[in-house]
Amino acid sequence: MIQPQTHLNVADNSGARELMCIRIVGASNRRYAHIGDIIVAVIKEALPNTPLERSEVIRAVIVRTCKELKRDNGMIIRYDDNAAVVIDQEGNPKGTRVFGAIARELRQLSFTKIVSLAPEVL
Amino acid sequence: MWAALRSRLLQPSPPSLLNQQWKLGFAGLGRCLSTSGAESVGDRGLLDLQEVEKVLSDVKADDVRVIPAGKHFDWADYMVVATGRSTWHVKNIAQALIYKAKQKQKGARHIILPSVEGQDSGKWIVVDSGKVIVHALDEKARAYYDLENLWTAEPPQKESKQDLDKAFVKIRPKNNSKKPAKIST
Repeated sequence: MIQPQTHLNVADNSGARELMCIRIVGASNRRYAHIGDIIVAVIKEALPNTPLERSEVIRAVIVRTCKELKRDNGMIIRYDDNAAVVIDQEGNPKGTRVFGAIARELRQLSFTKIVSLAPEVL
Repeated sequence: MWAALRSRLLQPSPPSLLNQQWKLGFAGLGRCLSTSGAESVGDRGLLDLQEVEKVLSDVKADDVRVIPAGKHFDWADYMVVATGRSTWHVKNIAQALIYKAKQKQKGARHIILPSVEGQDSGKWIVVDSGKVIVHALDEKARAYYDLENLWTAEPPQKESKQDLDKAFVKIRPKNNSKKPAKIST
């Protein structure tokens, strides 16, 4: 359940450290975003000497949420943190590696690039 | 169909079955599991490794590399990485693969196409046809993402669970202050 003003961790090596969601892309009046949704976010904290800077507006894909994700077979996946991966306008990830476990649903939502960079797929 | 699937899952099945379902599941091919006869339908829709290699050599993709799934990923069987000389070339590689998939199931009632990602930019296009995933990149993107290194390098050693178990075991401190009462004989 990511809504505007939610702070998220960054799950890649793009250089950003913390994001704040400011908009959910794809619907006009949507309240919450879940795993696999694209959001517009502001970089709240960034590592020095990286291409991304603080207070830059970027797009990101949510890859982990504290709110549980239900599967049809009854499996429930819940992570410890809210995390997102920074992407550009065309959907290519900005970073070259993704950290942490990623849900398989991202592949069905056509984020195969992010899934293939991830070290572990749940 | 679902009843059949469910009953299948309820049985103590090996974990590979579940994985298999996920590998095929993205295109709604879950029915492959329920009956053995339907398996050919799924196979027809998906490109296999030989076909992919042939298409890639036909469109003259450079530096084709096939990486079988080891411990690095379990959600597909093969990763194929290919380089295109320009964005047009990269797009053509993807188009050729889609065309091949269409040709393969000519006359079928439902055509299953592989999912394609990143077709507008032409820097990195992923053609996901179930068990074989083809990455077509231009030279810059290939150097930047360095995919082969990710999938061929040794995975970071996971800390063995035994150490963790040891850490949690409570050790009662020995009390040496009291001498054991001597048993008189």
